[in-house]
Amino acid sequence: MKLRFLLRDIVHSRSQALVFVLCVALSLVCIVAINSFRRDVQTAIVGDARALHGGDVIVRSSYPFSAGLEQALTELLARPGVTGARSWEMFSVVRRADEQGSLLAGIKVVEPAYPLYGRIDLASGKGLAEVLRPGRVVVAPAVLDRLGLAIGDQLLVGHGRLVIADLITAESLRSVDFFNFGPRVLVAAADLATIRLVEQGSRVRYRAMLRLDDGKQIAATVAALEARAVADQELVATYATAGSRVKRLFDNLFFFLSLVAVFTMLLAGIGMQSSLAALLRGKERSIATLRAIGADSRFLLRHYLLLVLLLSSLGAVLGIAGGMALERLFVDLFGQFLPDNLVLGTSLTDIIEGLAVGLAVVAFFTLLPLAAIREVKPKAVFSGSTENRPRRRETWVLLACGTFLLGGLVVRQLADLQVGLSLMAGILGLIAVISLLVGGLLAALRRLRHLPLPLRQAVRSLLRPGNASRSIVATLAAAFSVLLAIYLLQANLRAGYIDSYPPDAPNLFTLDIQKDQRQDFHLLLGEEVPLYPVIRARLTAINGNKIDRRAERKGRGDSLTREFSLSYPAGGEEDEELIAGRSLFPAEPGGRVPVSVLDNVAKMGDMRLGDVLEFNIQGVPLVAEVSSIRTRTRSMLFPFFYFLFPEEHLAAAPQTFFAALRVPAEEVSALENRIVSRFPNISTIDVGRSAAELAAVVDRLALIVTFFASFAILAGGLILVSSILATRLERIREVVHYKILGADSRFVVRVFFLENLLLGLFSGICALLVGQFAAFALCTYLFEVVYQPAWAATIGLVVLMVLAVVALGLAGSVAIIRRRPARYLRELP
Amino acid sequence: MPILQAEQVSKEYQLDGRTISVLRTIDLDVARGEFVVIAGSSGSGKTTLLSILSGLDRPSSGRVRLVDEDITDLSEDQLAPLRNRLTGFVFQGFHLIPSLNALENVMFPAELNRDPLAREKAVELLDRVGLAQRQASFPEQLSGGEQQRVAICRALINDPAIIFADEPTGNLDSENSRLIIELLLDLQRDRQLTLLMATHSHSLSRRADRIVRIADGMIVGEERQAP
Repeated sequence: MKLRFLLRDIVHSRSQALVFVLCVALSLVCIVAINSFRRDVQTAIVGDARALHGGDVIVRSSYPFSAGLEQALTELLARPGVTGARSWEMFSVVRRADEQGSLLAGIKVVEPAYPLYGRIDLASGKGLAEVLRPGRVVVAPAVLDRLGLAIGDQLLVGHGRLVIADLITAESLRSVDFFNFGPRVLVAAADLATIRLVEQGSRVRYRAMLRLDDGKQIAATVAALEARAVADQELVATYATAGSRVKRLFDNLFFFLSLVAVFTMLLAGIGMQSSLAALLRGKERSIATLRAIGADSRFLLRHYLLLVLLLSSLGAVLGIAGGMALERLFVDLFGQFLPDNLVLGTSLTDIIEGLAVGLAVVAFFTLLPLAAIREVKPKAVFSGSTENRPRRRETWVLLACGTFLLGGLVVRQLADLQVGLSLMAGILGLIAVISLLVGGLLAALRRLRHLPLPLRQAVRSLLRPGNASRSIVATLAAAFSVLLAIYLLQANLRAGYIDSYPPDAPNLFTLDIQKDQRQDFHLLLGEEVPLYPVIRARLTAINGNKIDRRAERKGRGDSLTREFSLSYPAGGEEDEELIAGRSLFPAEPGGRVPVSVLDNVAKMGDMRLGDVLEFNIQGVPLVAEVSSIRTRTRSMLFPFFYFLFPEEHLAAAPQTFFAALRVPAEEVSALENRIVSRFPNISTIDVGRSAAELAAVVDRLALIVTFFASFAILAGGLILVSSILATRLERIREVVHYKILGADSRFVVRVFFLENLLLGLFSGICALLVGQFAAFALCTYLFEVVYQPAWAATIGLVVLMVLAVVALGLAGSVAIIRRRPARYLRELP
Repeated sequence: MPILQAEQVSKEYQLDGRTISVLRTIDLDVARGEFVVIAGSSGSGKTTLLSILSGLDRPSSGRVRLVDEDITDLSEDQLAPLRNRLTGFVFQGFHLIPSLNALENVMFPAELNRDPLAREKAVELLDRVGLAQRQASFPEQLSGGEQQRVAICRALINDPAIIFADEPTGNLDSENSRLIIELLLDLQRDRQLTLLMATHSHSLSRRADRIVRIADGMIVGEERQAP
């Protein structure tokens, strides 16, 4: 009997029940898909960490290993059960043998034992050691495609002329490249001397990988190596602790996608609350009748709790299934970003986690509507409405517990307490601000005396009891502002970095010019260009406080632990101005070396004038005092340095030079060929081509985020539908009243049209303000591009949104408009 | 010439494949200025008849003429201006628009009619029914009697030819019922209104010019009463 009653209750309110189920499903789809996908990606890139890092123990440095470390490695490799392999990685330009084409490639020179773990698949199906002999290279297919070469052709790498022996089809040790700057070229270690890229000062990543038969020896081995390694320069790690740029990239991407998913979940939660409130509102008479015939609160609560559980379970199953299906789409959506060895699948953990999330979200968002059941009094049988009573203390306590639970859930999803709490506070704040704004606008409109009758009625309708006008506007505006901000950000990044490339900005960067090559380089160019000295160094301490490498690496942005390029003025810094300090290097205070710091890095390390910075320049310590702080006045496409010193303090340090050239686009390729033919160690970067690569990445990332943000819009739409359902009775009553008083259907349609138009306009205006502000802030303060509000496109998008709201709102009211009034006159309370 | 004419009006509903007859071949004429009560027990078909006569519902068969116009087949939009100008409604459940205050509720039909004097007329009517001080009150802030007085003002604002009233005192206590009846009858007399009222109140029936008795959807008797 109870079950039948329950099912009849659901069938009787099937529209509201459907919206509720869809909201539950929507709240879970993104979370389940992202969590499951994240786990799969992590399994692919971290789960098999040995394959990714190529050893049990990994030693890395940007400089040749120190004598002490070399000694330690030699001793270790002499032990039984320890095998090793070394690699040297660098970016350099490779050329066709006829010098008719060149390409920046990611070159990796490897010893025969490589790879100790993981795999490198070749097109021939042979093993790497068998193919990669002295005088040969194996390359990624892009090298052949872009240079028009074939297997068996010669390839110029540095000073070497090597034969292309095979193609790489998969490489587990290769980082996933968001930017396809340098397709892989593998070179045998025996050719290291031939290509002469290491000796001449190119940026090289030196790596030694060790394989230990006895896994218990890993910690001791690390300790032994660390004891001999140069601090802050030579890094020793295990496969489990070694950081990965890929992991970091995906961590960042998933973090932002999780933000969007949590946002969608919260919006869908509001939809849940709204649709359940609508459902229960339609049951008020039944509840009052049940009370009148003796049902107590516990019975009613149990009954409707069961109803919620039943619908939630259905929604959760749909959400989890939808999430699993959505995950399959990710392969196309993420495209080249994904690691080769990714295996998609949904584990039991994903499902359990999805159910737990669903339960928590449902529990929180259904609390208030369920608590309201207790407020329905038997006398509602007569009056048909429930008085608004202040909420009981237990309700507030439950609400507080629910908020705590939901907060925990959000924090767990984002794995970041501060961001999680900020996000929740931000969303609630945003919704509160928009609600207040809408409330104010409605109140102001209501006071206007001489509004035309349909508009006046539309305003009154927005204020009708049970109408979720504020929550509709708040959620639609919040969801749409996210989409708008993404669009504006994408458009501005394109405009700032890609489309409107400054006409005088350099378009060809040349790196690693040696001191003794400067004159010849100028001769080759036929003109003198500024050559910026580059001295690689690490910042080790600020005011005596060591840089906390672990804490720094946890951050999502730039890090103080990375290697910096120090320099001294070489001309061309005219696009910078001082924001602190009298001059670049005023009199040396306290006898310390002065250093001028760029504002970006000063902000990262909270550096001020007079602060003492300690650097490690390839093993040589340098203590300097901040003498000035600079800021940039032009695009980031012009050369700049975070740390500038007086020349005399860096003149003796090992250094290379960097030039930023402005060359007519059609001459870039020929000049690249001439430079690398004459100076094989010099790397060139065609910034125009890189900009196109960047555009593709920006577009792809925008597509991914937009895809997820679209679910938030869907949640807004569901809230609108649930509000229409919640106010169906009131709408019918209005239509009946209008009709019996002589209004024709045009009038009724006009009122409903204006009502929805106002909803859409309020949402659109709020979204426009919030979206523009967010995009402006991100462009100005994070990406540092000149902000263009793109008003025409923005207004176009807002108009589209308004039309969608009007269409949805009118569609939900058409059935009501068409009915004859007599049928409802008896039914209406 | 009667102001309202019903010829062979029937109304049927389909329920679970069965045909339910609510009204059966009703013939009725109402003269201009006449006060007619349709009396009958609950479920006899009073309200359905009133709905059909006022054009709020359509008969299954038969014709209805209102002020010389056959309204039987008119669409909702064709009926709208007739309802606005020729008829007024007073219901048992008041049916005031909850989002409008008393004055706005009364003004509403006149505003639909683009009457520039809507406000003045509404103020005058509310004053006449003793609600001058409650103009700004919303329906939920008014008592049942007050709500019904506002509804009567609303029904009168466009000077209709006929008022349809469905159990206007059904939701009121005896004192308020008495007041509403007196008010309606005063206004009917003053304005020479035609009043067609469905009720099972004997005291109200006694005041009518004519009582049409209805049972099981059929007219079972008519009594013309002395003025």
